[in-house]
Amino acid sequence: MYGGGNVFETMKATALGDEDPVKLAEFEARIDRGEKIEPTDWMPQLYRKQLIRMIEQHAHSEIIGALPEGTWITRAPGFKRKLALMAKVQDEVGHGQLLYSAAETLGKSRESMLDDLVSGKSKYSNIFNYPAFTWADSCFISWLVDAGAIVNQVANSKGSYGPYCRALERICAEESFHLKYGHHCVIHLATGTKKQREMMQAAVNRWWAPMMHFFGPSDKISVHSEILMRWKVKMASNDACRQQFLDMYVPKIWELGLTIPDDKLQKNPETGEWEFTEPDWDEFKRVINGDGPCNKERLAVRKIAEERGRWVRKALLAPKSKYVTPLA
Amino acid sequence: MALDSLDPRVNRLDISEDSLSTLVAKGNLDQFETYEAFVQVKDSKPFEHVGPVHAPNEEMAFLFAKEQYSRRGMFCNALCVIKTENIKASHFTDNGQDVYDTLHTEASGEEKESFELFHLMKRGKQHKYAGHVMARDYDDALAAAKTLYQGVKPVFNIWVVKSEDILSTDEEDRDIWETLKEKQYREAIDYRAQDKIKAFKEAQSAQA
Ligand SMILES: [Fe+2]
Ligand SMILES: [Fe+2]
Repeated sequence: MYGGGNVFETMKATALGDEDPVKLAEFEARIDRGEKIEPTDWMPQLYRKQLIRMIEQHAHSEIIGALPEGTWITRAPGFKRKLALMAKVQDEVGHGQLLYSAAETLGKSRESMLDDLVSGKSKYSNIFNYPAFTWADSCFISWLVDAGAIVNQVANSKGSYGPYCRALERICAEESFHLKYGHHCVIHLATGTKKQREMMQAAVNRWWAPMMHFFGPSDKISVHSEILMRWKVKMASNDACRQQFLDMYVPKIWELGLTIPDDKLQKNPETGEWEFTEPDWDEFKRVINGDGPCNKERLAVRKIAEERGRWVRKALLAPKSKYVTPLA
Repeated sequence: MALDSLDPRVNRLDISEDSLSTLVAKGNLDQFETYEAFVQVKDSKPFEHVGPVHAPNEEMAFLFAKEQYSRRGMFCNALCVIKTENIKASHFTDNGQDVYDTLHTEASGEEKESFELFHLMKRGKQHKYAGHVMARDYDDALAAAKTLYQGVKPVFNIWVVKSEDILSTDEEDRDIWETLKEKQYREAIDYRAQDKIKAFKEAQSAQA
C-alpha cells in the first residue's frame, strides 16, 4: 500500500539550467514517444532526485504500513482470516523490497534509505501514523487504504521510469487480492450482527479523515508540478486521485448501509465532481512532521528490529564482497 | 518510560525512550550483495529477468527470489539467480539499431569457457534468455553470439554471463512450486461476496 501526496522537493525553475540542452531534449523526446527511461540512460539530476524520493517514500510506506495490519494477525477472527492477513502483510513487505531495488537503480543504496527512514529524514504515508484500534480498523485498511493505494499505483505504473513501472506492475497484480480480501472482511462485518455493524461504522468514522488526507493537499499549479508531470514522474494530481477514489468507493461503502462522517459529501450532478468538507490540512502537516498518535511507535519498532537483527547481518557479511547496483 | 502500544507484541518489546537514543548508520553491505533473478513461466518459454534481490549468498538469493518473484499470482516453472557483478552488460542502442551491428570484433573460435546470453528486445521490458556460446572471455562471447543469435529483430542490450555463475532450479526439485495450489486464500477469486451484498440489500428494502 502506499500514500499519495508525495512530498516532493521544492525546486526553482532554473534548476535545469545546468543540464546539457541536447541531452535534455533527447530525454524529453524519449518520454514523449512513450518510451521508458532505464537506469543507464542519461537523465537530469532533478528527475533522478525526485524519483529516488518518491520511490523511497513508497517503499517505506509498504513496510511501515505492514505494522498497523500486522498488529491484528494474531487476533484476526478465525484461522482463514489469520492466514489471509499474514499473506497480505507478507505481500506488503515484498512490495517494499521491490521498490527499494527500483530506487537503488537510481544510485541510492538500500542502507542509506533504511537509515533515512529510521532517522525520520525520509517520510512514509501519513495514514500509518494512526492506530488500528479494533479488528474493524484492520478491515478498513485492507479494503480502503489499499484501494486508495491502488488508485495511485495504477497511475504511477504508466510513468516514465522503467524499473519503477515494472515493480508497480507486479505490485498491482497482488493488490487485487488485498482489495477483494479487504472488501470481503468489511462486508462480513457490515452485514453481520448489530455489534459487528457498530464496530465497522466506528472504524469508518475514525479513518475517514486520514483517508481524505491520504491523497495529499491540492496540488498547486507550479512550474515544479508541471515539469514532474511532463517527465511522467507524477502521473495524476492529488485531487484527481482523490476524486477517482471517491467515485469508485463511496457508493460501495454506502451500499453496505455504512455512513461517512461528512455531511457535505455528495456528488455534484452537474460537474460530476465530489464535494466534501475541506480536510484539516494543519493536522496533516502536524502528523507528517512527527506529531501523530503512532509516529514514535512506528519508528521505534523499525529501529528495534534493525538493532536486534544487526548481529545476524554482521555474521552473514562477506567481508571481501563489494556493493553493486541492481541492473534493472 | 516504556512505549505504550495497542499491540501486545510491541509492549512485550519493552521499548524505552533512552534505549533508542543512539542511531548507528548502517555499514557497507549491511543489506548484502545484489543478485538478479530470472523466471521461466513454462517449459516452452525462455527464462526472463524479473528483478533483483539482496542476499548474503547464492542459496539465500535463490530462496529470497522464490519468495519475491514466484510466491503467487504468477506461474513459475523454473528459477535462477545470478550475482549482479557477474553479469556483463553491453551498451544500449536506440532508434531500432541492433547492438550486434555495433560489434565488429571477430570471434576467436576458442572454446575455453561456456557463456549464456540474455537479450533485451524492447525498451521497458526485461531481458530474455537467448542462447549459449563457447568462448574465450565475455567480449569474445558477444562476438560468437553475433553469428549465432543475431536475428531479424534488433536487440537493444545484451547481458553475458558465465554458465557456472548461474544457480538454477534442479529438475528433481520441481515440486517446490506445487505448494502454490493449496493457497487459494491468497487469490482474489477466493473472496466473492456479491451474493452477500445482494441478500443484504434485499433484506434492507424488505424492512423499509
Ligand atoms: Fe496492498
Ligand atoms: Fe502494497
